[in-house]
Amino acid sequence: MPEDHRMPDHTETLGAALVRHGIGRRDLLRFALAMTASLALPPGIAPVMAENLARAKRRSVIWLSIQDCTGCLEALLQSSSPTLESIIFDFISLDYQETLMAAAGSTADRMLWDAVAANKGEYLLAIDGSIPVKDGGVYALTGGRSTVGIVEALAADAKAVLAIGTCAAYGGIPKAYPNPTGAVGVEDLISGTPIVNIPGCPPMPDVLSGILVYFISFGRLPALDERKRPLAYYGTTIHDRCYRRSFYDRGQFAQSFDDDGARQGWCLFELGCKGPITHNACASLKWGGGTSFPIESGHGCLGCAEPNFWDAGSFYTSLAGGSPTGWQNASMAAAVGLAGGAAAALLARDKADPDPEETPP
Amino acid sequence: MRRFIADIGPAAALAMESCVHCGRCAEACQFYVQTNDPRYTPIHKIAPLKQAYERELGPFAFVYRLFGLAPQVTAKELESWQALIYDSCNMCGRCSLICPMAIDIADLVERARHGLFEAGLVPADYLGALAEKEQATGSPYGLTQAQFRDMLHDIGLKHGVVMHVDEAKADIIPTVSSIDLKMFPASMAAIARILNHMGVSWTFRTDGFDADNAALTAGDRAGQRKITLGIIRAALACGARTVVMPECGHAFTEMRWEAANSFGQALPFRVVQITELLAEGLSDGRIRVNPGVGERATYHDACQLSRRGGASAAPRLILRALGVDLREMGDAGDANWCCGGGGGVALVKRAQPLRDLAFQIKRRQVEATGAGTVYTSCSGCRQTLEHGGKTANWTSTVASLLERVADTLAHNQKD
Amino acid sequence: MTLLEFARGPALQASALIMIAGMAWRMAGILLLRRRPQYAASRHSLARRMGGGASLILSRFIPRRTFWPRIAVGVMLSAVFHLGLALVFFGGAPHILLVHQATGLIWPNLPKGLIVMASGLTLAAMIALIVRRRLHPVLRLLSTADDYVSWLLVFLPVLTGILLSGEAIGDYGSLLTLHILSVEALMIWLPFGKLMHSVLVFAGRWTMGVTFARKGAAT
Repeated sequence: MPEDHRMPDHTETLGAALVRHGIGRRDLLRFALAMTASLALPPGIAPVMAENLARAKRRSVIWLSIQDCTGCLEALLQSSSPTLESIIFDFISLDYQETLMAAAGSTADRMLWDAVAANKGEYLLAIDGSIPVKDGGVYALTGGRSTVGIVEALAADAKAVLAIGTCAAYGGIPKAYPNPTGAVGVEDLISGTPIVNIPGCPPMPDVLSGILVYFISFGRLPALDERKRPLAYYGTTIHDRCYRRSFYDRGQFAQSFDDDGARQGWCLFELGCKGPITHNACASLKWGGGTSFPIESGHGCLGCAEPNFWDAGSFYTSLAGGSPTGWQNASMAAAVGLAGGAAAALLARDKADPDPEETPP
Repeated sequence: MRRFIADIGPAAALAMESCVHCGRCAEACQFYVQTNDPRYTPIHKIAPLKQAYERELGPFAFVYRLFGLAPQVTAKELESWQALIYDSCNMCGRCSLICPMAIDIADLVERARHGLFEAGLVPADYLGALAEKEQATGSPYGLTQAQFRDMLHDIGLKHGVVMHVDEAKADIIPTVSSIDLKMFPASMAAIARILNHMGVSWTFRTDGFDADNAALTAGDRAGQRKITLGIIRAALACGARTVVMPECGHAFTEMRWEAANSFGQALPFRVVQITELLAEGLSDGRIRVNPGVGERATYHDACQLSRRGGASAAPRLILRALGVDLREMGDAGDANWCCGGGGGVALVKRAQPLRDLAFQIKRRQVEATGAGTVYTSCSGCRQTLEHGGKTANWTSTVASLLERVADTLAHNQKD
Repeated sequence: MTLLEFARGPALQASALIMIAGMAWRMAGILLLRRRPQYAASRHSLARRMGGGASLILSRFIPRRTFWPRIAVGVMLSAVFHLGLALVFFGGAPHILLVHQATGLIWPNLPKGLIVMASGLTLAAMIALIVRRRLHPVLRLLSTADDYVSWLLVFLPVLTGILLSGEAIGDYGSLLTLHILSVEALMIWLPFGKLMHSVLVFAGRWTMGVTFARKGAAT
């Protein structure tokens, strides 16, 4: 049977595929160990994971990009992780991804619904970008059809939905004030199907691969927090794992991006770093194959993995400060207070009777 | 209860607003220290005043009224407070020395008494003994002008000293305290002798002589004002340049610090306490004494003269001039303990046991000095100390500093 | 808008404005009452009366020696509490930044370890003070709801602050939210209860100092 790239073989196991690529079981076990560490699982589970991976069958993944900038996809594609991860990405059957697929128009559309029909209840639905629901969902159409309806229909038959990136998870930048399209995150639209939020602008590629490996190995989703984020990656803040944390604890803060403190790698809290309230794994896994992350490059965390980060004030306003009340408002309040107090005192003055009866001569 | 709050200005309001309920004032108060009864906590004594203030006068009075947070002070409540306000406060102001918020509680008690007086709640014996007579005659002992004139002449004859009474013009007007009139007439002879010795022009004025303003401690604002204005008018009538307050604490407080405010303008004469006049005379040589040797004595500060009057230095200067071996009590001067009789407490009969308890502190202090004589410059203190000393079988005697100076004057041709 | 955004945004603004207006109201209501002119001859010049006000403000920080034996426990506890609180508020880096952003004033911060220690001492002193308030007959008699409300509203920011510093329970975001909200509750309450003594203490001491200096009494 000739290999058909539009309809991959769903029966080949991952083990067989690896062998085809010249990768043995020992390598798979080493990979499984690394994955358990990344997922914060006990190391003892690695052989099981390796075993499960070897026996795993191809999973169909349907990927919809809605109000996206392609940054999430770009980040995943540019991820420099060698061999195994890329093979695992190869191993999933990405049945629909508008940016990557060769097909277009009605052909692409037909492939989408074929894949859905073939993997009903088993496929993973990946979404990047937010979903515009305002005005009947007219702001994002595919083949004249609102993506709102498409997402609802696809989610209903999916095993789980992966909301990739802050836009899909929480609405992200399209949702920023004044949110002209009524953008929402997946969880605001979908109920009934398990959702995994993988926020970040973009999200970390390692996080997506970790979730996929877990899902392929165990057939279920990893433990999630109250925001539906995988605990293993989002359980701590950037601040918790930041290598500059000791400077924060000592109260050593850079005051500007080129002062002595900045040069000595002091904490960027005062320069607006949002690390303390941002849950993500940047500080531990780092980007570019473990090379660096924003704070290591000398810039504060923007908090991109948190809801509404775009509207949470300046990137360069310290977390300690709120919005300053402003002298004008403060003077106004003082004036109102003074007037009230003065009125109270003047009313009280009428009750005063400092000189009873006799008056001075 | 508007009388309560009639004369509360920014200072009293600040005091009312600042309390943080730290309870330290109790530890400065002789009545609490001696009984450990929390009701004697000074700031607690003015609770009805604070309640009336919050309801009627405070910055958020309308909130208090709107939500009923400070109900109207009832006559019944006030009645239950009478004993606390009249019997257990000497208005000595020791609590105002310990207060971290600098609340002048003694001053607040004075205002609280205004309210009780208006409500007719001044203790009966207090009113009967003093305030009513004072209202009628200008003297708490009910002495008329004629009676006083006779009394002064009698004293002059008896003590062999020239008395000046009701002269039309004089530079110095001495006043007396009702306690002197009743108990210590020699003090009037003493002041006459000293003024004669100084060779100044002076006169007693029967139209303004009794400076012991019992109305002040009773809470009778109108009466207090009447007596004070009486003395001011008498002094004005004879063109006095100095009005001398007798050995009496509250008299000094009233005339030195309050009278001008009642008068509505600065007084055209100065007001001095007798010890200040004596110290002045001893310093500038107008008074010359024959100093003794080795008399071991202590000095009891009257609260109104030391802590609240700023006249602590004068008596010590006098004692030095007399050659007295001064053995100071602990806390002498600004932090002294009250004798227990101040603030009119001595006038309330039922307060006797409490007063005696308070006196125990003084007793321990005096006994610790080993002094033979306890000098004081306040007839009220003198009376309380004498009474207490008798019960405690003191071997030491209580004496007036004024009389001691008069007895020690160096020979003077004018005498 | 998340709760944290609410706490740092509109809630902070509103509570600051309420605090400012309330304090202005209360001070005006007190200071603009009818003031009787003082006619009695002062013993001291105006300058020395002012000096008396300043001197009493300072001298009342430490009680006279004669009072110590009876009040040492309360004074020490309250000193630890007040000093600790001042250290934490004026020395903590995030607090300084907040003031800096609101007013432009800035000063050097203290090391975090010291701040955490000071908060711990403050908490301990506060607990001791509230226990003492419940046990001491005088304090029980004097205490009103204001005392307990004010205590709680000071206690909570210190508690959430110390938790925040260690991130012992909960994550930074929620602790920060609680910390800010508790401070805002404190700010809103400040003008209306006894916490206002933070301002009144200076006005009161000044007034007594000037009055006593006028009389030549000790300040």
